[in-house]
Amino acid sequence: MNLSEPVVYLSLLVFLPAVAALVLALLPRLTDDAFKCITLAVTILVFILSLGMFRLGAGIDFQAGVAEMQNLFQVDWIPTFGIQYFMGLDGISFPLIVLTSFLCVLAMGASWPINKHVRAYCILFLLLETGMLGVFMSLDFFLFYVFWEVMLLPMYFLIGIWGGPRREYAAIKFFLYTLLGSVLMLIAILMLYFNSDLTRLNAQQMVDAGIVTVAGDSTVDASFQAWVNSEDTLAQRFAEIAAETDPARRRQLHTFNILALQQMGQHTDLFEGEALLGKSLQWWAFILLFIGFVIKVPSVPLHTWLPDAHVEAPTPISMILAGILLKMGGYGIIRICYPICPQAGYDLAYFVCTVGVVSMVYGAFAALAQTDFKRMVAYSSVSHMGYVVLGFGVWSAMADTGYNADYWKMGVNGAMYQMIGHGISSAGMFFMVGVIYDRVHHRDLNQFGGLFAKMPVYSGFAVGIFFAGLGLPGLCGFIGEVFVILSVWKYSYVLAIISASVVILTAGYILWAIQRVYLGPEYKGPNGDALKPITLRELAIAVPLMVSAVVFGIYPDGLLRYMQPSVDRQVDQLAAWTQAYDERETAAKPLGDEDGQMASR
Amino acid sequence: MDIATASKLSTLLMWAWLLPLASFVVILFLGKSMGRHSKFGGYVATGVILCSAALSFYALFGVWLPNNPLADASHSSEEVHAEHSEVTSVHPVAFLADHGEGESKGHEGAADHGEGGHGEDGHHANNKPPQSYYGDWYTLGQFGSLKLTIGYYIDALTVMMFCMVTLIATCVHFYALGYMHDELHDFTDSEVTLSDGTNLKRPGRYYRFFQYLSLFCFSMLGVVIAGNVAMVFVFWELVGICSYFLIGFYIERHSASTAANKAFIVNRVGDFGMLIGMMALWSSLGTFAFGDLTDTEGHVVEQGIFSQLRSAENDYHLQATDSVVAEQNRVIRPSADGATIEDPEHNTAGQWLLFIAGVGIFCGCIGKSAQFPLHVWLPDAMEGPTPVSALVHSATMVAAGVYLTGRFYPAFTPEALLVIAYIGCATLLIAATIAITATDIKRVLAYSTISQLGYMMLALGLGGWVAGMFHLITHAFFKGLLFMCSGSVIHGVHTNDMTEMGGLRKKMPITAYTMLVGCLAIIGAGIPIIGPGFSGYYSKDAIIEQAWSYGNSNPHLAILKWAPIVGAFITAFYMFRLWYMTFAGKPRNQHRYDHAHESPRVMTVPLIVLSIFAIGIGWKLPITNLNTTALLEQARPVGTLATTQGVLLPELVIPNEHDSHAPAIKWAAGWAAFSTAASGVLLASIIYLWNLLDPKELKQTFRPLHSWLWNKWWFDELYGLIFVAPTMMISKTASWFDRRVIDSILHGSVTVCKGCSKVVYAVFDKTLVDGMANGIAGVTWDLGLWLRKIQTGNLRQYIMFIVIGTVVLFIAISFVQQTI
Repeated sequence: MNLSEPVVYLSLLVFLPAVAALVLALLPRLTDDAFKCITLAVTILVFILSLGMFRLGAGIDFQAGVAEMQNLFQVDWIPTFGIQYFMGLDGISFPLIVLTSFLCVLAMGASWPINKHVRAYCILFLLLETGMLGVFMSLDFFLFYVFWEVMLLPMYFLIGIWGGPRREYAAIKFFLYTLLGSVLMLIAILMLYFNSDLTRLNAQQMVDAGIVTVAGDSTVDASFQAWVNSEDTLAQRFAEIAAETDPARRRQLHTFNILALQQMGQHTDLFEGEALLGKSLQWWAFILLFIGFVIKVPSVPLHTWLPDAHVEAPTPISMILAGILLKMGGYGIIRICYPICPQAGYDLAYFVCTVGVVSMVYGAFAALAQTDFKRMVAYSSVSHMGYVVLGFGVWSAMADTGYNADYWKMGVNGAMYQMIGHGISSAGMFFMVGVIYDRVHHRDLNQFGGLFAKMPVYSGFAVGIFFAGLGLPGLCGFIGEVFVILSVWKYSYVLAIISASVVILTAGYILWAIQRVYLGPEYKGPNGDALKPITLRELAIAVPLMVSAVVFGIYPDGLLRYMQPSVDRQVDQLAAWTQAYDERETAAKPLGDEDGQMASR
Repeated sequence: MDIATASKLSTLLMWAWLLPLASFVVILFLGKSMGRHSKFGGYVATGVILCSAALSFYALFGVWLPNNPLADASHSSEEVHAEHSEVTSVHPVAFLADHGEGESKGHEGAADHGEGGHGEDGHHANNKPPQSYYGDWYTLGQFGSLKLTIGYYIDALTVMMFCMVTLIATCVHFYALGYMHDELHDFTDSEVTLSDGTNLKRPGRYYRFFQYLSLFCFSMLGVVIAGNVAMVFVFWELVGICSYFLIGFYIERHSASTAANKAFIVNRVGDFGMLIGMMALWSSLGTFAFGDLTDTEGHVVEQGIFSQLRSAENDYHLQATDSVVAEQNRVIRPSADGATIEDPEHNTAGQWLLFIAGVGIFCGCIGKSAQFPLHVWLPDAMEGPTPVSALVHSATMVAAGVYLTGRFYPAFTPEALLVIAYIGCATLLIAATIAITATDIKRVLAYSTISQLGYMMLALGLGGWVAGMFHLITHAFFKGLLFMCSGSVIHGVHTNDMTEMGGLRKKMPITAYTMLVGCLAIIGAGIPIIGPGFSGYYSKDAIIEQAWSYGNSNPHLAILKWAPIVGAFITAFYMFRLWYMTFAGKPRNQHRYDHAHESPRVMTVPLIVLSIFAIGIGWKLPITNLNTTALLEQARPVGTLATTQGVLLPELVIPNEHDSHAPAIKWAAGWAAFSTAASGVLLASIIYLWNLLDPKELKQTFRPLHSWLWNKWWFDELYGLIFVAPTMMISKTASWFDRRVIDSILHGSVTVCKGCSKVVYAVFDKTLVDGMANGIAGVTWDLGLWLRKIQTGNLRQYIMFIVIGTVVLFIAISFVQQTI
């Protein structure tokens, strides 16, 4: 047991908040501030742990420029079903983990105004953090699902108890929507599980799935053989099933291993069997998973829980909701939907992109009409997360582009960048709204004005953060949006043009809100006397947000160097898969049918 | 590429570019702590921009010119035009026919075309790429072969723009030191009335103004030095946001913040088009770079846009690359069967895509340079303090659109140039007519700016690259001067309204006569044909000559020939109307006249400096052969010195710019320009100086026309009706749809679920009660109550059920499996 082992380090990272929650529950009655301080200290500790992985040469680190999973570990959990305690990091999950631990610190800092049931609040907050970190780290589908549900419950209570006047409605709405998504996801998980078969993977694929580790100088095949002959439970079952030569009696070795499922989706025909209505199993799995994830993103038309949840949730919970929870939807799409069900992804790429574009446009229009400040910001999240869905969907390595994956890479990287950028800017925006809500206790956009004169420092930060949301160059929102938009044309110029038009609407609603809230001669709403300048605590939250917005705006390489190799690798794999698939399809077609060939010339 | 010069120039200009950013940061952090009443911010910003100007001028005179000596421009251009005029005047028809043939073959083989071109006596000889230095500083992102970078592209135009921007910015900074002194102490804003009826009193924001100004200079210089379209876009947006801050500097005034929003949003409409152009370019060429990236030995590693589209093998004629053709075929898909792709009749060989890219990029320029139909924001932008109007909204930022059009010039197809010409033509006429009736002194100048920008766009669209860029430079000086003079007037009389001015030349002579210089410069005063004249004389005549030459080549596009001449008349009229109404005649408002005073020296010295440039920037520097056009000629974009013909519109001919120097054209155009401008001044004098005609009577006589112009052609109302109102309606509908439709479906399904469970409950309950013993019924009753509790929302249990359910499922399955 030492910290340089992934199993220890990552478990500590994930479960430290949960353990702390348990401790808090057992502690004798303390003052509210003491509970808050302890919780803040725990979140800071978790943040430091996540930063610790930047330290190169330490026992456990996250290396930039490496595409593969790092710091993998697996421990059998429920061996009967092949369920493992299986975690690891790559460029897709690592930035999100750092973002999570970062925003949790800030959100805890923003929790100081909360005075109701503080102990319970802190416990739930910490459980939520465990859930979120667990989702981003788990590589076992069952484990992923458990964390997904673990995160759901604290969120329900955090909205339902500490929220605004309509908190119960909002909480139940949030819960039902998310529950629907979870159930669909569960169905898809079981579909995939019962059709998976580890024994169909070859040695290299077993290595890629993280099951077989290649030691220093060994070859892939040798390691594989060594593994098969080892004492490992899974290996023994694998050997037992693989030894069966009669195909009729051969059983399948099911797995929840996400990486293995990815290998099966891309290299075998396990998920290609017909399921319903002439569509393949993976097509249906993709649809179910996609609905489950876009509820979380959220995309139109499954987005109506978000404005209500945001409006009612207390400020720190809004920050977490917008900054991290929405990213889980995007994370699920890139980690699970596409690599496991590439054929469905290829088939439905246009649908996915359309969902993204519709969300962008619809969210922006809806934001323009809002009079509630928080609701406006919530709709802006719908619009901005549309970029993410769009960027993931631009399957532009096709026959008529010569399977050139460069634009696609740009789109997916842009979408990932947008997730991080939006995590910062949306959390910042909700915090900025929260600061004035704490003072004047209303959010009616038409009853503000003149805040620049009363709270100049705060207003400066707020305008800066809102400009980050607007996608101004030099701030974090710009890079992701531009990468995504520039990449779309290669996939579909119609969608590209529609998505580009959103820049006008975004400018419209953000500038209009700024004008109504911060500019103008005087404050028009109630409780004007309460508008005191920003406090030191609030400043301590605003500054890191603003600084990271600027840093990510002008130094994209700082993020891309960690993220891009993994994203590029996945896109390259899918592009290779597309080419192989198209060749297979063309070969299967009768002679004389030259549909695909025309385009490829 | 000369590495030493390149690194020297890029370093110099990089510092000139980054210093204002440093100033911005310093004032941002220290401005307030230095005290609201200190001039610290102003001094920092002014000092820094002075350094930038020094660096820029050193880059021009110390590095650029010694390394790239000017050709004797007047001599060489005389020679060239003599040769060309002969050819064009003798065989225009034969030449066109020949050229058309060459062009239609163009896409098939470069060698073919080159031969055809060189066979003629030299008018196909096209100009090489100008001397330029290109490099990358910084990579934003790289995806395979695609690369987004921050880098530099330096040619004579870049260096000259640096000098122009920093020089005018320096003048404006000095001027603003005086103009903004109100902001040094508590400021009472007479235009803002609070709810209690008093005027707003607020602390001054002197340092804040200079902070924004510094950020603006940084952004503007970033646009100028940008080495690729993406970087232009980045700084384009930053310039836009600085403009937003500066227009909305008086944040308490609703009109100012609305104008700031309008400016930014209208610019974003242009940027939307620009993004489309960028996407088309990016997807087809895979690069945004203006120049070619070379390694240390001078080999080209990565080709830029221009060298891809205008290759040396093709004699620098515009030709779509294979990737563009492929992309166009992918996007537009000319027909289902492959045959027509080869068909020359239908094969536009990527021209459509290039047209879209060109017009798209130009859309951005339409927004930024306030061209029709996006010109509506600029007049409103006059809400900002006058130094802002002088720097941002006349000399530099709005010129950025023209600059980008000039920079991107080699990639515009002839058809895209026609669009540019038409837009410029419409803009120059519309804005000029509106300026006739405006009475706000700054708004007159704003419309005049729009109109002059239209001139530049027109010139570029007609093939007059040097003419357009030359006008950009001269206009920057005289329009900056005019705005600063108007600011000086406003500072003196505390009103913008010209109907309350009059006779001010006695009170403020320096302002009056420097403004007269500006007026003479803008109308292009000078001795016709032989010169000398004010700076506008040279640049405007160059534009009119090019229009004349263009009109001769394209008789069907005569409007483009006459528009600048008509425009010259209107310009002369409204400029002198402005001058007369302000400075001549009797005071219309005695009170204001009595309190009027000349501005302090810190404001008048910049006026004098700028008026010297307004007079002389078009002249050749004595002894040396240095003049602006010769310098511009050094930056002439690759391949623009050939007469070119449209591909999509074969009858369209863009004449060689040097042809416009032919004596016949020069003579006719020169006299046309002179006579129209003179008659404009004469008409203004008749009405406003000698009062031979009463303006009020004229207003009555032409009432419908006057109200049409007074209401600015109803553009604002029209846009409100066809864009803003529908947008708001759609957005309200979207919001309504969420609440009423999507949520109703949700609520409806919840109600249905509840109803079902109630029915089941009732039936279940009754059957059991009727059929079973009381004891069991009691248990059921409890169970029913308990179940109802679950249904009413204790959701912890929901989760528990799911987990239990899952586990039970697995246990069941494992049993099933084991039994198998």
